[in-house]
Amino acid sequence: MVTPMHHGALKRKDLFWLALVALMALVPAVSAITANSFLMHVLILILLFASMAQAWNIIGGYGGQTSFGHSVFFGIGAYGAGMAVVTYGLSPWPGIGVGMLAAATVAVLISYPCFKLSGHYFAIATFAVVEIFNRMFLVWYWVGGALGLDYPMVEEGFKNLMWYDSKTGYYYCALVLFVLIFGIVRFLEGHRFGYYLRAVREGQETAESLGVNSTAVKLTAMALSAALAGLCGAFFVQYNLRVDPGMVMSLDMSMKFVLVTILGGAGTLAGPLLGAAVLIPLQEYTRALWGGLGGGVDLIVFGVLIIVIVVKQPAGISGIVRDIAKRFRRPADAKGGTSVGTA
Amino acid sequence: MVHCKSRMTICLLIAVAVTLMLGVAPATTLAQEKVIKIGTIFPLTGPVALAGQRCKAAVETAVEILNNKHPNIKVPLADKKGWLAGYKFVLVHTDSQGKPDVGKAEAERLINQEGVWALIGAYNSSVSMPASMVAERAKKIFMCGASSSAALTQRPDMKYFFRTASTDEVESHEFVEVLKWLNKTQKNANVKTLGLIYENSVFGKHAAEEAKKAAAAGGFTVVADVPFTPGATNLDSEVQTVKSKNPDALFGAVLGADYALMVKTMKKMNWIPKVSLNYCSGYQDPVIAKQLGPDADFFMGSTGYSPEFAGMMPAVAEVEKIFKTKTNNVPYDSDSIQETIAMLVLAQAIEKAKSLDPEVVAKTLYANTWPSPLSLSGKVAFAPGGQNKLALSIVTQLQGGKYKRIFPTEKADTKPIFPMKAWDKR
Amino acid sequence: MDTLLQVLLDGILNGMLYALVAVGLCLIWGVMDVINFAHGEYVMIAMYVTYWLGFLANVDPLISMFAGGLFIFILGALTYRLIIKYTIGKPPLSALLATFGLAMLLKNLCLNQFTPNFRILSDTWLGDKTFQLGALIVPLPQLVTAIVALVVVGLTYYMVRSTRFGWAVQATAMDKEAAELMGINTERIYLLVFGIGGATVGLAGGIMPTYLAVHPEVGTMFSLIAFICVAMGGFGSIPGALVAAILIGVVEALGGYYIAPVFKYVAVFGLYLAVVFLRPKGIFGW
Repeated sequence: MVTPMHHGALKRKDLFWLALVALMALVPAVSAITANSFLMHVLILILLFASMAQAWNIIGGYGGQTSFGHSVFFGIGAYGAGMAVVTYGLSPWPGIGVGMLAAATVAVLISYPCFKLSGHYFAIATFAVVEIFNRMFLVWYWVGGALGLDYPMVEEGFKNLMWYDSKTGYYYCALVLFVLIFGIVRFLEGHRFGYYLRAVREGQETAESLGVNSTAVKLTAMALSAALAGLCGAFFVQYNLRVDPGMVMSLDMSMKFVLVTILGGAGTLAGPLLGAAVLIPLQEYTRALWGGLGGGVDLIVFGVLIIVIVVKQPAGISGIVRDIAKRFRRPADAKGGTSVGTA
Repeated sequence: MVHCKSRMTICLLIAVAVTLMLGVAPATTLAQEKVIKIGTIFPLTGPVALAGQRCKAAVETAVEILNNKHPNIKVPLADKKGWLAGYKFVLVHTDSQGKPDVGKAEAERLINQEGVWALIGAYNSSVSMPASMVAERAKKIFMCGASSSAALTQRPDMKYFFRTASTDEVESHEFVEVLKWLNKTQKNANVKTLGLIYENSVFGKHAAEEAKKAAAAGGFTVVADVPFTPGATNLDSEVQTVKSKNPDALFGAVLGADYALMVKTMKKMNWIPKVSLNYCSGYQDPVIAKQLGPDADFFMGSTGYSPEFAGMMPAVAEVEKIFKTKTNNVPYDSDSIQETIAMLVLAQAIEKAKSLDPEVVAKTLYANTWPSPLSLSGKVAFAPGGQNKLALSIVTQLQGGKYKRIFPTEKADTKPIFPMKAWDKR
Repeated sequence: MDTLLQVLLDGILNGMLYALVAVGLCLIWGVMDVINFAHGEYVMIAMYVTYWLGFLANVDPLISMFAGGLFIFILGALTYRLIIKYTIGKPPLSALLATFGLAMLLKNLCLNQFTPNFRILSDTWLGDKTFQLGALIVPLPQLVTAIVALVVVGLTYYMVRSTRFGWAVQATAMDKEAAELMGINTERIYLLVFGIGGATVGLAGGIMPTYLAVHPEVGTMFSLIAFICVAMGGFGSIPGALVAAILIGVVEALGGYYIAPVFKYVAVFGLYLAVVFLRPKGIFGW
């Protein structure tokens, strides 16, 4: 269903993406937006969760392996940066590198046996992994245990990847993260590896019979996905200036990545961005509006909206967008990579 | 048909999004000039929502007293309507969900979007930490009622952070003093060994570390060190572990439902230490104590307030009436009353400073000793770092469902029942 | 030795409770291939049902648990009618996401309506009663729960295996289209399966206020453990879920006592990983 013609060299679709990035790069120039720091906060979270969901999308959407374990990799990246700054008093950068490597290594070690499991057994196994890591980090003295790591006040700027008064620095970092991860996935879509990955999703036996080493493909995708998740985690901790196991390594966090991707449309390039662009503002603004009432009204509304979106449009928001786009395009062009994959 | 449906969905989504964005546009529309906005950050949902909602009610109580004339309430500033030449407080509440990242985002929103003048919060120590950093950088005062982690006030460069409650460090030393006192005054007390049971969170972990330090200094041996995961389905292995080590004294830092479960499990396993002391937690929640009934008896714990203290703190009764209207008739507990105190002290400082410059008010807060009829010591004064150096808590024991004061002896109204009565002898 | 036996007994009794919570999930999962994320919230709501009946009308949980079962039967059927029905045949994660939203909705609705207060039912028939068996302390509420669990699991298994309804359920689980061609109303089967699955959880939640405090967050850990039970036993296998649940209870108790209490859930989740690495389809899976 995915023909190579769709994913070759630069296409009209890519021009759209480039224009979007250029537009986003200009956002901080509008003082009306930068003056509203909550709006900036929401934009940063949209970019962060779009990036994170895209990282998940590599193995979860394109690879069809529903992992609920990504908060572990996210957390390892977060702890990499956090420990570099808090425990060792360094710049976060070496920590980010180590964290990404560690996340990829842990991902490969965990996934190797887990990939033998199919469907729900795999999903539940990744659940179990999150709970195990969460508990281990809670008692692991070296990483701060249950107390977590609180950042000291250090000089702001790119070296320490920390800004206090203005959110513009964080915004551009999130944008770089976004461009990097979406760029990688866009590249993979057109690359041979991307085809192998989707082939494995559509049918492991068939793929193997065509000479694809499915284990190697899945492990590589998982390692890449985990390393990028670690990078996102590092940004998350730099943004919040605190890390503890409950913040990063929790099923809630994992669910959020999956939710954003699936709601947007798994296995599509635009899905994670669409999902984040709808879900994150909903979450943040409902909380801002009703959270203070104290009755969990924001979460009730959020829950209802999730149900409504899923029930009304299970192909995700990209499904809605595609339906609309269909009306403007020629019928032959309208069918993209639509299959939402899971094992 | 499909188009129609999805179009409707997307229209709905856009409509919702637009309404939300409009609804939360920078709210500078309040036309009245004489208003000071105070932002609150509490965990209104999630596992510790109960405590958070009571804290929110406590701040509301304080503001109601401050904004209106209450001549019958013997609390500073209650007798006049408004204060500082007619200013009124307006509260903006937010929900941290008990999550540090959410709490930090809400602190930023309160300061930048809502334009609050000061913050009160955040119950969870882990949320107070990043949220107070935000306030500090924005040069806004952060009043902290009931976060117990001692680390919060061990940050010497914090100039705008103030905490009224006592810390787990103070309480740990007090507990050890109680053990020594029991050894001295009770026949054959012979308390030597100590067990710790605590939830593995910032709160529990801090409490346990301070307890270990205090125990070592007091010459007690910690024989059982049992952290557990909050929200567990049972506490069988935890209590079994403590039981098998059979410590003379048990220190607990166990919140809410877990506390009830712990007591019930101890009963089930038919084990009880000679003495059990609890950090402000499930023990001092009057609702839990009532529901546990006789099972809750003879446990001890630190208490900053309980309705039985009325004789010592005559001013509380009238204030508590207002508080009860907001909590479905639940009285104050040690945590929530601290939030009222924090708000009242802040108002007094503004009144005294005659200024709305946070720097001036912060300096005034440090420079004076504040009368506080709701505090056990009757006064509040802050040490560098923002800790209330006059914070007191009394060790109480539940006897017949009532919190009886037993230590320090000059504040006591009852003799302790020691050792705790076995389950089958009640 | 006595301690070991006591730990084992506590573990087995807790395991039985897990089995009672898990059997409904197992049924739903086996027949419909749907992960119901709101399972723990069903437990919580059933607990509220019996709590309020006990508190307001003084009905003992031993009786009102049937009301809890009935209530969750209706809730389950409604969940199917209003939500799950629309996710069948759609991408596999849809149902999971929708029930995740439902869990969020139910949890916060209870918080909103009943406040986050911890509620304990005192003076129940079984509450806090224990008896000695040699050196062992046997807690009566947990023992009765275990008996209820055995009966419910047994009945559910019998229903699926040996009744006409059960055969129709099995046929639907194996091949929905074929079953429809045979004249089975699969829509009705799904509805009933969701209801019955809910009812068993309702019974579990209904009896729990005898020894657990009720609050909006109480179900979270139970649903996680139920997932593990069902997956470890082999999806859709009711005896598998029972065996897995008991195993989990025992490992939790042993790990908690002999390693360290903080590691008790690590031991449980580790056990799951160990089992599926050896038997990728669970203990009774094929």
